[in-house]
Amino acid sequence: MISNISKLIKKEFQLEWRQKTAIATIFIYVLGTTFLIYLVFQGNINIPTWIALFWIISLFTTVNAVSKSFMKDANEQFYYLRNIASPVEIILSKIIYNAIFITFLSLVIYAVMVLFFNENIEDKSLFLLTVILGSIGFSNLFTLLSAITARTQNIILLAILGFPIILPLLLLIVKMSGLADFTISQQDIYVNIGAIVLLDVITLILSVILFPYIWRD
Amino acid sequence: MKNYWWKILCVILLLYTVIIGFTGTIPELNILEESIRNLYFHVPMWFAMITLMFTSMIYSLLYLNKSKIEYDIKASSFATVGFVFGILGITTGSIWARVTWGAWWVFQEVKLNGAAAALLVYAAYFILRGSFDDEEKKARFSAVYSVFAFVMFMVLIGVIPRVAGASLHPGNGGNPGFNSYDLDNSLRIVFYPAVIGWILLAVWIATLKIRTVKVFRKIHELDIE
Repeated sequence: MISNISKLIKKEFQLEWRQKTAIATIFIYVLGTTFLIYLVFQGNINIPTWIALFWIISLFTTVNAVSKSFMKDANEQFYYLRNIASPVEIILSKIIYNAIFITFLSLVIYAVMVLFFNENIEDKSLFLLTVILGSIGFSNLFTLLSAITARTQNIILLAILGFPIILPLLLLIVKMSGLADFTISQQDIYVNIGAIVLLDVITLILSVILFPYIWRD
Repeated sequence: MKNYWWKILCVILLLYTVIIGFTGTIPELNILEESIRNLYFHVPMWFAMITLMFTSMIYSLLYLNKSKIEYDIKASSFATVGFVFGILGITTGSIWARVTWGAWWVFQEVKLNGAAAALLVYAAYFILRGSFDDEEKKARFSAVYSVFAFVMFMVLIGVIPRVAGASLHPGNGGNPGFNSYDLDNSLRIVFYPAVIGWILLAVWIATLKIRTVKVFRKIHELDIE
Protein backbone atom coordinates (compact mmCIF):
# COMPACT_ATOMS: atom_id res chain seq x y z
CA MET A 1 0.00 0.00 0.00
CA ILE A 2 2.75 2.46 0.98
CA SER A 3 4.79 1.68 -2.13
CA ASN A 4 1.67 2.20 -4.25
CA ILE A 5 1.02 5.56 -2.60
CA SER A 6 4.59 6.71 -3.10
CA LYS A 7 4.42 5.68 -6.76
CA LEU A 8 1.20 7.65 -7.19
CA ILE A 9 2.73 10.71 -5.50
CA LYS A 10 5.72 10.40 -7.80
CA LYS A 11 3.32 10.28 -10.73
CA GLU A 12 1.69 13.52 -9.56
CA PHE A 13 5.05 15.28 -9.30
CA GLN A 14 6.11 14.06 -12.74
CA LEU A 15 2.82 15.20 -14.28
CA GLU A 16 3.17 18.59 -12.63
CA TRP A 17 6.76 18.92 -13.77
CA ARG A 18 5.85 17.97 -17.32
CA GLN A 19 3.17 20.67 -17.55
CA LYS A 20 5.33 23.64 -16.72
CA THR A 21 2.62 26.04 -17.85
CA ALA A 22 0.37 24.84 -15.02
CA ILE A 23 2.97 25.59 -12.34
CA ALA A 24 3.83 28.88 -14.00
CA THR A 25 0.14 29.82 -13.98
CA ILE A 26 -0.05 29.38 -10.22
CA PHE A 27 3.17 31.33 -9.63
CA ILE A 28 2.06 34.21 -11.79
CA TYR A 29 -1.31 34.09 -10.01
CA VAL A 30 0.41 34.45 -6.63
CA LEU A 31 2.67 37.20 -7.87
CA GLY A 32 -0.14 39.06 -9.62
CA THR A 33 -2.54 38.88 -6.67
CA THR A 34 0.04 40.01 -4.14
CA PHE A 35 1.22 42.84 -6.36
CA LEU A 36 -2.39 43.93 -6.89
CA ILE A 37 -2.99 43.97 -3.14
CA TYR A 38 0.27 45.85 -2.63
CA LEU A 39 -0.92 48.58 -4.99
CA VAL A 40 -4.49 48.66 -3.66
CA PHE A 41 -3.27 49.00 -0.06
CA GLN A 42 -0.68 51.55 -1.24
CA GLY A 43 2.13 49.48 0.23
CA ASN A 44 1.20 50.09 3.81
CA ILE A 45 -0.50 47.53 6.06
CA ASN A 46 -0.33 46.55 9.72
CA ILE A 47 0.39 43.06 10.99
CA PRO A 48 -3.20 41.76 11.50
CA THR A 49 -4.03 42.84 7.93
CA TRP A 50 -0.81 41.20 6.75
CA ILE A 51 -1.84 37.91 8.33
CA ALA A 52 -5.40 38.14 7.02
CA LEU A 53 -4.21 38.88 3.49
CA PHE A 54 -1.64 36.08 3.63
CA TRP A 55 -4.32 33.50 4.41
CA ILE A 56 -6.82 34.93 1.92
CA ILE A 57 -4.26 34.74 -0.89
CA SER A 58 -3.29 31.28 0.33
CA LEU A 59 -6.92 30.13 0.28
CA PHE A 60 -7.63 31.43 -3.22
CA THR A 61 -4.38 29.98 -4.57
CA THR A 62 -5.25 26.64 -2.98
CA VAL A 63 -8.66 26.58 -4.63
CA ASN A 64 -7.10 27.33 -8.00
CA ALA A 65 -4.27 24.83 -7.58
CA VAL A 66 -6.37 21.97 -6.21
CA SER A 67 -9.39 22.40 -8.48
CA LYS A 68 -7.67 20.55 -11.30
CA SER A 69 -6.42 17.61 -9.23
CA PHE A 70 -9.18 15.29 -10.40
CA MET A 71 -10.01 16.91 -13.74
CA LYS A 72 -7.78 14.56 -15.69
CA ASP A 73 -8.50 11.47 -13.65
CA ALA A 74 -12.23 11.97 -13.91
CA ASN A 75 -12.09 11.42 -17.64
CA GLU A 76 -9.04 9.98 -19.33
CA GLN A 77 -7.25 8.03 -16.63
CA PHE A 78 -10.22 7.07 -14.50
CA TYR A 79 -10.57 3.42 -15.52
CA TYR A 80 -6.84 2.86 -15.65
CA LEU A 81 -6.28 4.30 -12.17
CA ARG A 82 -9.20 2.38 -10.79
CA ASN A 83 -7.64 -0.88 -11.92
CA ILE A 84 -4.18 -0.33 -10.54
CA ALA A 85 -4.93 1.28 -7.15
CA SER A 86 -7.53 1.22 -4.41
CA PRO A 87 -9.57 4.38 -3.69
CA VAL A 88 -7.87 4.82 -0.29
CA GLU A 89 -4.43 4.78 -1.94
CA ILE A 90 -5.56 7.31 -4.51
CA ILE A 91 -7.08 9.79 -2.06
CA LEU A 92 -4.11 9.50 0.32
CA SER A 93 -1.62 10.07 -2.48
CA LYS A 94 -3.58 13.10 -3.74
CA ILE A 95 -3.92 14.54 -0.23
CA ILE A 96 -0.22 14.12 0.54
CA TYR A 97 0.77 15.58 -2.80
CA ASN A 98 -1.59 18.53 -2.43
CA ALA A 99 -0.47 19.16 1.16
CA ILE A 100 3.16 19.37 0.02
CA PHE A 101 2.19 21.55 -2.93
CA ILE A 102 0.06 23.93 -0.82
CA THR A 103 2.76 24.23 1.86
CA PHE A 104 5.25 25.06 -0.86
CA LEU A 105 2.88 27.62 -2.40
CA SER A 106 2.26 29.19 1.02
CA LEU A 107 6.00 29.63 1.49
CA VAL A 108 6.19 31.25 -1.96
CA ILE A 109 3.35 33.56 -0.93
CA TYR A 110 5.21 34.33 2.29
CA ALA A 111 8.33 35.22 0.34
CA VAL A 112 6.40 37.43 -2.08
CA MET A 113 4.55 39.13 0.82
CA VAL A 114 7.87 39.85 2.54
CA LEU A 115 9.26 41.16 -0.72
CA PHE A 116 6.44 43.67 -1.17
CA PHE A 117 5.38 44.53 2.36
CA ASN A 118 8.68 43.99 4.14
CA GLU A 119 6.83 42.69 7.19
CA ASN A 120 8.23 40.00 9.43
CA ILE A 121 6.61 37.49 11.74
CA GLU A 122 8.14 37.43 15.21
CA ASP A 123 7.97 33.69 15.97
CA LYS A 124 8.90 32.11 12.64
CA SER A 125 8.93 28.47 13.74
CA LEU A 126 5.41 28.76 15.17
CA PHE A 127 4.28 30.45 11.96
CA LEU A 128 5.82 27.67 9.88
CA LEU A 129 4.05 25.08 12.02
CA THR A 130 0.76 26.92 11.43
CA VAL A 131 1.42 27.00 7.69
CA ILE A 132 2.11 23.26 7.59
CA LEU A 133 -0.90 22.31 9.74
CA GLY A 134 -3.13 24.71 7.79
CA SER A 135 -1.94 23.34 4.45
CA ILE A 136 -2.70 19.79 5.57
CA GLY A 137 -6.22 20.85 6.54
CA PHE A 138 -6.70 22.74 3.25
CA SER A 139 -5.49 19.68 1.37
CA ASN A 140 -7.76 17.23 3.26
CA LEU A 141 -10.85 19.29 2.52
CA PHE A 142 -10.24 20.64 -0.94
CA THR A 143 -8.91 17.36 -2.37
CA LEU A 144 -12.15 15.57 -1.51
CA LEU A 145 -14.32 18.49 -2.63
CA SER A 146 -12.43 18.78 -5.92
CA ALA A 147 -13.19 15.09 -6.51
CA ILE A 148 -16.87 15.98 -6.15
CA THR A 149 -16.78 19.07 -8.31
CA ALA A 150 -14.67 17.46 -11.04
CA ARG A 151 -17.81 15.59 -12.14
CA THR A 152 -19.86 18.74 -12.59
CA GLN A 153 -19.42 21.43 -15.20
CA ASN A 154 -19.73 24.10 -12.51
CA ILE A 155 -16.26 25.65 -12.14
CA ILE A 156 -17.13 28.02 -9.29
CA LEU A 157 -18.65 25.17 -7.26
CA LEU A 158 -15.39 24.29 -5.47
CA ALA A 159 -15.21 27.76 -3.93
CA ILE A 160 -18.88 27.68 -2.92
CA LEU A 161 -18.54 24.27 -1.28
CA GLY A 162 -15.14 24.91 0.21
CA PHE A 163 -15.23 28.40 1.70
CA PRO A 164 -17.88 27.92 4.39
CA ILE A 165 -16.55 24.45 5.23
CA ILE A 166 -12.95 25.66 5.58
CA LEU A 167 -14.06 28.53 7.83
CA PRO A 168 -13.51 26.80 11.22
CA LEU A 169 -9.97 25.86 10.24
CA LEU A 170 -9.29 29.28 8.72
CA LEU A 171 -10.44 31.08 11.89
CA LEU A 172 -8.16 28.91 13.99
CA ILE A 173 -5.07 29.35 11.82
CA VAL A 174 -5.59 33.11 11.52
CA LYS A 175 -5.82 33.31 15.30
CA MET A 176 -2.76 31.09 15.56
CA SER A 177 -0.76 33.31 13.18
CA GLY A 178 -1.77 36.21 15.40
CA LEU A 179 -0.37 34.37 18.39
CA ALA A 180 2.87 33.82 16.51
CA ASP A 181 3.22 37.56 16.36
CA PHE A 182 1.61 39.08 19.42
CA THR A 183 3.03 36.49 21.81
CA ILE A 184 -0.04 35.79 23.94
CA SER A 185 0.03 33.14 26.65
CA GLN A 186 1.54 29.72 26.01
CA GLN A 187 -1.73 28.12 27.14
CA ASP A 188 -3.64 29.66 24.20
CA ILE A 189 -1.08 28.35 21.73
CA TYR A 190 -1.49 24.75 22.91
CA VAL A 191 -5.29 24.97 22.82
CA ASN A 192 -5.12 26.31 19.26
CA ILE A 193 -2.59 23.77 18.01
CA GLY A 194 -4.72 21.04 19.59
CA ALA A 195 -7.88 22.30 17.87
CA ILE A 196 -6.15 22.60 14.47
CA VAL A 197 -4.65 19.10 14.72
CA LEU A 198 -8.06 17.76 15.76
CA LEU A 199 -9.69 19.37 12.71
CA ASP A 200 -6.94 18.01 10.44
CA VAL A 201 -7.51 14.51 11.78
CA ILE A 202 -11.32 14.73 11.50
CA THR A 203 -11.20 16.00 7.91
CA LEU A 204 -8.60 13.39 6.94
CA ILE A 205 -10.67 10.53 8.37
CA LEU A 206 -13.84 11.83 6.69
CA SER A 207 -12.07 12.21 3.34
CA VAL A 208 -10.61 8.72 3.43
CA ILE A 209 -13.92 7.15 4.49
CA LEU A 210 -16.08 9.05 1.99
CA PHE A 211 -13.83 9.04 -1.06
CA PRO A 212 -14.56 5.41 -2.11
CA TYR A 213 -18.20 6.46 -2.65
CA ILE A 214 -17.12 9.17 -5.06
CA TRP A 215 -14.56 7.00 -6.78
CA ARG A 216 -16.92 4.64 -8.57
CA ASP A 217 -18.94 5.16 -11.64
CA MET B 1 -54.68 7.64 16.32
CA LYS B 2 -51.71 5.28 16.26
CA ASN B 3 -49.87 7.28 13.65
CA TYR B 4 -50.84 10.86 14.30
CA TRP B 5 -50.79 11.16 18.09
CA TRP B 6 -47.52 13.11 17.88
CA LYS B 7 -49.11 15.67 15.58
CA ILE B 8 -51.84 16.32 18.16
CA LEU B 9 -49.14 16.54 20.82
CA CYS B 10 -47.26 19.03 18.62
CA VAL B 11 -50.32 21.30 18.24
CA ILE B 12 -51.07 21.19 21.98
CA LEU B 13 -47.47 21.95 22.93
CA LEU B 14 -47.21 24.86 20.47
CA LEU B 15 -50.55 26.32 21.58
CA TYR B 16 -49.27 26.09 25.15
CA THR B 17 -45.95 27.68 24.12
CA VAL B 18 -47.56 30.62 22.33
CA ILE B 19 -50.30 31.31 24.91
CA ILE B 20 -48.28 30.79 28.10
CA GLY B 21 -45.14 32.10 26.42
CA PHE B 22 -46.69 35.50 25.78
CA THR B 23 -48.89 35.79 28.86
CA GLY B 24 -47.12 33.74 31.56
CA THR B 25 -45.04 35.15 34.38
CA ILE B 26 -41.34 35.71 33.81
CA PRO B 27 -38.56 36.53 36.26
CA GLU B 28 -37.59 40.21 36.55
CA LEU B 29 -34.44 40.68 34.50
CA ASN B 30 -32.26 43.67 33.68
CA ILE B 31 -31.85 44.63 29.99
CA LEU B 32 -33.52 41.39 28.83
CA GLU B 33 -36.89 42.25 30.40
CA GLU B 34 -39.78 41.04 28.24
CA SER B 35 -37.45 39.95 25.41
CA ILE B 36 -36.67 36.82 27.46
CA ARG B 37 -39.86 35.39 25.95
CA ASN B 38 -37.88 34.98 22.72
CA LEU B 39 -36.20 32.08 24.53
CA TYR B 40 -39.25 29.98 23.62
CA PHE B 41 -38.78 30.69 19.92
CA HIS B 42 -35.14 31.45 19.15
CA VAL B 43 -33.45 28.54 20.93
CA PRO B 44 -35.91 25.80 19.84
CA MET B 45 -35.35 26.82 16.19
CA TRP B 46 -31.71 25.76 16.49
CA PHE B 47 -32.62 22.55 18.28
CA ALA B 48 -35.08 21.80 15.47
CA MET B 49 -32.46 22.60 12.83
CA ILE B 50 -29.83 20.40 14.48
CA THR B 51 -32.34 17.55 14.80
CA LEU B 52 -33.33 17.77 11.12
CA MET B 53 -29.75 18.11 9.87
CA PHE B 54 -28.73 15.10 11.96
CA THR B 55 -31.63 13.09 10.47
CA SER B 56 -30.60 14.26 7.01
CA MET B 57 -27.06 13.04 7.62
CA ILE B 58 -28.32 9.65 8.82
CA TYR B 59 -30.36 9.26 5.62
CA SER B 60 -27.33 10.33 3.58
CA LEU B 61 -25.29 7.59 5.23
CA LEU B 62 -28.11 5.11 4.57
CA TYR B 63 -28.13 6.20 0.92
CA LEU B 64 -24.38 5.63 0.61
CA ASN B 65 -24.86 2.12 1.99
CA LYS B 66 -28.06 1.05 0.24
CA SER B 67 -28.26 3.34 -2.83
CA LYS B 68 -32.05 3.60 -2.56
CA ILE B 69 -33.39 6.87 -3.96
CA GLU B 70 -35.96 7.05 -1.15
CA TYR B 71 -33.17 7.82 1.31
CA ASP B 72 -31.96 10.64 -0.91
CA ILE B 73 -35.46 12.13 -1.04
CA LYS B 74 -35.62 12.01 2.75
CA ALA B 75 -32.10 13.41 3.22
CA SER B 76 -32.72 16.38 0.94
CA SER B 77 -36.20 17.09 2.36
CA PHE B 78 -34.96 17.11 5.95
CA ALA B 79 -32.08 19.39 4.93
CA THR B 80 -34.46 21.80 3.15
CA VAL B 81 -36.76 22.16 6.15
CA GLY B 82 -33.77 22.32 8.50
CA PHE B 83 -32.40 25.18 6.44
CA VAL B 84 -35.68 27.09 6.80
CA PHE B 85 -35.54 26.61 10.58
CA GLY B 86 -31.93 27.83 10.53
CA ILE B 87 -33.05 31.03 8.79
CA LEU B 88 -35.82 31.43 11.38
CA GLY B 89 -33.25 30.88 14.15
CA ILE B 90 -30.88 33.51 12.80
CA THR B 91 -33.75 35.99 12.23
CA THR B 92 -35.17 35.64 15.75
CA GLY B 93 -31.61 35.83 17.08
CA SER B 94 -30.90 39.00 15.14
CA ILE B 95 -34.05 40.69 16.46
CA TRP B 96 -33.11 39.64 19.99
CA ALA B 97 -29.58 40.95 19.51
CA ARG B 98 -30.95 44.35 18.43
CA VAL B 99 -32.98 44.59 21.62
CA THR B 100 -30.39 43.40 24.12
CA TRP B 101 -26.95 43.97 22.56
CA GLY B 102 -27.92 47.04 20.53
CA ALA B 103 -27.10 45.82 17.02
CA TRP B 104 -28.59 43.46 14.44
CA TRP B 105 -25.24 41.78 13.98
CA VAL B 106 -22.40 41.64 16.51
CA PHE B 107 -18.96 40.70 15.21
CA GLN B 108 -17.57 39.53 18.57
CA GLU B 109 -20.29 36.93 18.68
CA VAL B 110 -18.69 33.71 17.39
CA LYS B 111 -21.92 31.76 17.59
CA LEU B 112 -23.66 34.23 15.28
CA ASN B 113 -20.88 34.03 12.70
CA GLY B 114 -20.75 30.26 13.07
CA ALA B 115 -24.49 29.99 12.49
CA ALA B 116 -24.26 32.16 9.37
CA ALA B 117 -21.40 30.02 8.06
CA ALA B 118 -23.45 26.88 8.77
CA LEU B 119 -26.28 28.28 6.67
CA LEU B 120 -23.77 28.94 3.87
CA VAL B 121 -22.56 25.33 4.12
CA TYR B 122 -26.11 24.09 3.58
CA ALA B 123 -26.81 26.66 0.85
CA ALA B 124 -23.81 25.15 -0.95
CA TYR B 125 -25.41 21.72 -0.48
CA PHE B 126 -28.45 22.84 -2.47
CA ILE B 127 -26.25 24.41 -5.17
CA LEU B 128 -24.36 21.11 -5.41
CA ARG B 129 -27.62 19.22 -5.85
CA GLY B 130 -28.60 21.57 -8.64
CA SER B 131 -25.32 21.02 -10.48
CA PHE B 132 -25.91 17.39 -11.45
CA ASP B 133 -28.15 16.14 -14.24
CA ASP B 134 -27.70 12.50 -13.38
CA GLU B 135 -30.03 11.42 -10.51
CA GLU B 136 -27.77 8.77 -9.06
CA LYS B 137 -24.65 10.96 -9.10
CA LYS B 138 -26.55 13.86 -7.59
CA ALA B 139 -27.77 11.66 -4.73
CA ARG B 140 -24.38 10.03 -4.10
CA PHE B 141 -22.22 13.17 -4.26
CA SER B 142 -24.57 15.30 -2.23
CA ALA B 143 -24.77 12.54 0.39
CA VAL B 144 -20.99 12.64 0.71
CA TYR B 145 -21.08 16.42 1.06
CA SER B 146 -23.93 16.23 3.57
CA VAL B 147 -21.87 14.10 5.96
CA PHE B 148 -19.03 16.61 5.70
CA ALA B 149 -21.47 19.49 6.15
CA PHE B 150 -22.97 18.10 9.35
CA VAL B 151 -19.59 17.45 10.97
CA MET B 152 -18.45 20.99 10.11
CA PHE B 153 -21.78 22.36 11.35
CA MET B 154 -21.09 20.75 14.72
CA VAL B 155 -17.55 22.14 14.72
CA LEU B 156 -18.84 25.63 13.87
CA ILE B 157 -21.44 25.81 16.63
CA GLY B 158 -19.85 23.42 19.13
CA VAL B 159 -16.06 23.58 19.01
CA ILE B 160 -15.18 27.04 17.68
CA PRO B 161 -17.18 29.03 20.29
CA ARG B 162 -15.35 27.12 23.04
CA VAL B 163 -11.90 27.70 21.58
CA ALA B 164 -12.54 31.33 20.62
CA GLY B 165 -13.80 32.16 24.10
CA ALA B 166 -15.36 35.52 23.27
CA SER B 167 -19.14 35.28 23.12
CA LEU B 168 -22.09 37.28 24.36
CA HIS B 169 -24.40 34.28 24.59
CA PRO B 170 -25.43 33.05 28.04
CA GLY B 171 -23.21 30.22 29.24
CA ASN B 172 -20.32 31.22 26.94
CA GLY B 173 -17.19 33.29 27.48
CA GLY B 174 -17.73 33.65 31.21
CA ASN B 175 -21.35 34.78 30.93
CA PRO B 176 -23.82 33.23 33.34
CA GLY B 177 -25.93 30.43 31.86
CA PHE B 178 -29.68 30.60 31.61
CA ASN B 179 -30.02 28.64 34.84
CA SER B 180 -29.09 31.77 36.76
CA TYR B 181 -31.93 33.73 35.16
CA ASP B 182 -34.50 31.09 35.89
CA LEU B 183 -34.50 30.80 39.64
CA ASP B 184 -38.20 29.97 40.07
CA ASN B 185 -38.39 27.62 37.04
CA SER B 186 -41.00 29.83 35.34
CA LEU B 187 -38.98 29.85 32.10
CA ARG B 188 -38.25 26.15 32.14
CA ILE B 189 -41.86 25.01 32.28
CA VAL B 190 -42.47 26.72 28.94
CA PHE B 191 -39.03 26.23 27.39
CA TYR B 192 -38.91 22.42 27.47
CA PRO B 193 -42.39 21.93 25.96
CA ALA B 194 -41.51 24.61 23.37
CA VAL B 195 -38.38 22.70 22.30
CA ILE B 196 -40.31 19.45 21.88
CA GLY B 197 -43.19 21.23 20.13
CA TRP B 198 -41.01 23.04 17.59
CA ILE B 199 -38.97 19.91 16.84
CA LEU B 200 -42.19 17.94 16.25
CA LEU B 201 -43.47 20.71 13.97
CA ALA B 202 -40.23 20.67 11.98
CA VAL B 203 -40.39 16.90 11.55
CA TRP B 204 -44.05 17.19 10.55
CA ILE B 205 -43.25 19.76 7.84
CA ALA B 206 -40.38 17.54 6.65
CA THR B 207 -42.69 14.52 6.29
CA LEU B 208 -45.10 16.66 4.24
CA LYS B 209 -42.18 17.78 2.08
CA ILE B 210 -41.15 14.15 1.53
CA ARG B 211 -44.71 13.30 0.50
CA THR B 212 -44.93 16.17 -1.99
CA VAL B 213 -41.61 15.16 -3.53
CA LYS B 214 -42.81 11.57 -3.83
CA VAL B 215 -46.10 12.64 -5.41
CA PHE B 216 -44.23 14.85 -7.85
CA ARG B 217 -41.95 11.97 -8.79
CA LYS B 218 -44.87 9.61 -9.18
CA ILE B 219 -46.63 12.02 -11.54
CA HIS B 220 -43.46 12.25 -13.61
CA GLU B 221 -43.05 8.47 -13.43
CA LEU B 222 -39.75 8.52 -11.58
CA ASP B 223 -38.54 6.00 -8.99
CA ILE B 224 -39.63 6.57 -5.42
CA GLU B 225 -38.17 3.43 -3.84
